[in-house]
Amino acid sequence: MTGESQAITQNYATAKGFCITSAFWMVVATFMGLLGATELMAPDLLENVGWLVFGRVRPIHINLVLFGFVTPGLLSAAFYYVPKLLRTDLYSEKLGKITVFAWNVTLVAAVVSLAMGKTQGREYAELIWPIDMMVVAAFSLVIINIIMTVKQRREPILYVSVWYVCAAVILTAITYGLGNIIWKPSSGALVGIPDAIILWFYGHNVFGLLLTPLSAGVTYYVIPKACRAPLYSHTLSLWGFWSLLVVYTHIGTHHLLQVPVPTWLKVIAIVDSNAMVIPVMAFLINIWYTAKGKLGEIHADIGAKFVFTGTIMYFFVSIQGSMMSLPDVQRVTHFNNWVVAHAHLGVLGFAGMIALGGIYYILPRMTGRPLYSRLLAVFQYWMILIGTVGFTVVLTIAGLIQGNAWLNGETVYRILPQIHVYYVTRAALGLMIFSSAVIGFYNIIRSMFFSPGETS
Amino acid sequence: MYYPYFISYMVAGLVISLVVFIWALNNGQFKDQQRARYLPLKDETDEDEPPMVRAKKISRHETYALMFLAFAGLAVIAAVLFFALLKGGQP
Repeated sequence: MTGESQAITQNYATAKGFCITSAFWMVVATFMGLLGATELMAPDLLENVGWLVFGRVRPIHINLVLFGFVTPGLLSAAFYYVPKLLRTDLYSEKLGKITVFAWNVTLVAAVVSLAMGKTQGREYAELIWPIDMMVVAAFSLVIINIIMTVKQRREPILYVSVWYVCAAVILTAITYGLGNIIWKPSSGALVGIPDAIILWFYGHNVFGLLLTPLSAGVTYYVIPKACRAPLYSHTLSLWGFWSLLVVYTHIGTHHLLQVPVPTWLKVIAIVDSNAMVIPVMAFLINIWYTAKGKLGEIHADIGAKFVFTGTIMYFFVSIQGSMMSLPDVQRVTHFNNWVVAHAHLGVLGFAGMIALGGIYYILPRMTGRPLYSRLLAVFQYWMILIGTVGFTVVLTIAGLIQGNAWLNGETVYRILPQIHVYYVTRAALGLMIFSSAVIGFYNIIRSMFFSPGETS
Repeated sequence: MYYPYFISYMVAGLVISLVVFIWALNNGQFKDQQRARYLPLKDETDEDEPPMVRAKKISRHETYALMFLAFAGLAVIAAVLFFALLKGGQP
């Protein structure tokens, strides 16, 4: 191996495939979210349409956001930058194309089965066993391609983004298999409290150990490139990476503080949830110091602008997450819309923003042409920003009303009129996010296939 | 042992992490950190940067039309909010 720059002959077929996958499924996923929000606002809207009742729409929305929109968006960027950072070609574009195809077949199967009511009934682990196996198989294909690319690298040092991508795909493949109890195909579940423990261990990690490292990987690549400046500290970035592995892998039990699980497990979850401030701040300090004095460069590149905004969201969602693990805080904030606000801030505001940023950053570089319309991309940016902040504000207010009422022993239905207006606002903001997804899909397809682009 | 699946996952995770960490240590991954800072910038060539192209007139019209549709959508959202707030959430 040598550190010298080598000619790389990529056609980016895999990255392009995941890019289109992400843009398309973002449209479907956000539509399902909008539909769910509308049903919360008007519960009788689709009462006689079995496959569109809220109980089926919600898991479709969540699974599509996770596996359809955000993960493929982040993987698209990863399949672009990993070979570049390693000064080699992707191990196999053919395998990559097969992976993209398998990934999309899995997503279609997930939507159809969930709409038919085929579910294992465990939150975030709803998919039935055959589709669980398809997910594991798709992840395995990604792992093979990434690891073999690492193996054939010409650059001896693994840049921190490569570390993050490897950790994300390997840990998720293990977490997914274990969390979905794939050795029990009939139920996909254990019995009693152990199942709750393993489910929330999985429920937290399937987002935290997949989206967080992939997002960090994209950020560590895009921000130095956009700023045309070296990373502030690679050593600090590795500290952040290894501390993330140590403290983030077993904090899921903070979802079960009000459940009879062993106290030692709760203590581990709470302590490590608060220790998350170490990897989070290591990451943010590194990125923000890299960008220090160069915000103009970031503003000039729409991809970097998405990514940098995602880091600001990461700050807020991480502080919020650590706070929510404290039992006294959680007494008010858990089991209500506060958590939904937190989830949207994390998945859409942080990881979703960075996924879109990654796509918009690599798209002109893959096609050799400017974006079809920077204006539409900027418009999408503002719609998502306003939508995410709006979600966070209204759902946090609704959550505090619900939490306070619950603490005071109020009956659930008496609170519903009080939070109705927030549900209406949430649906309106959902329409905004869905519109932005449609605009983004159009812009990405035009950029990739049709347009000579415009002056950016 | 309490909850063997959970504990076995934690142990497996720890073992994998340790093995990889030791490999990284022996492989020199923590050396030459100054050079590592510049790795994203090393692949920069002019070929990577997309050329500046002037937009076609029809493309600009298309963009304006889409912007109009998007603003119309936002106006509908504002109207929904306005009426919802005006009527206090009552049908």
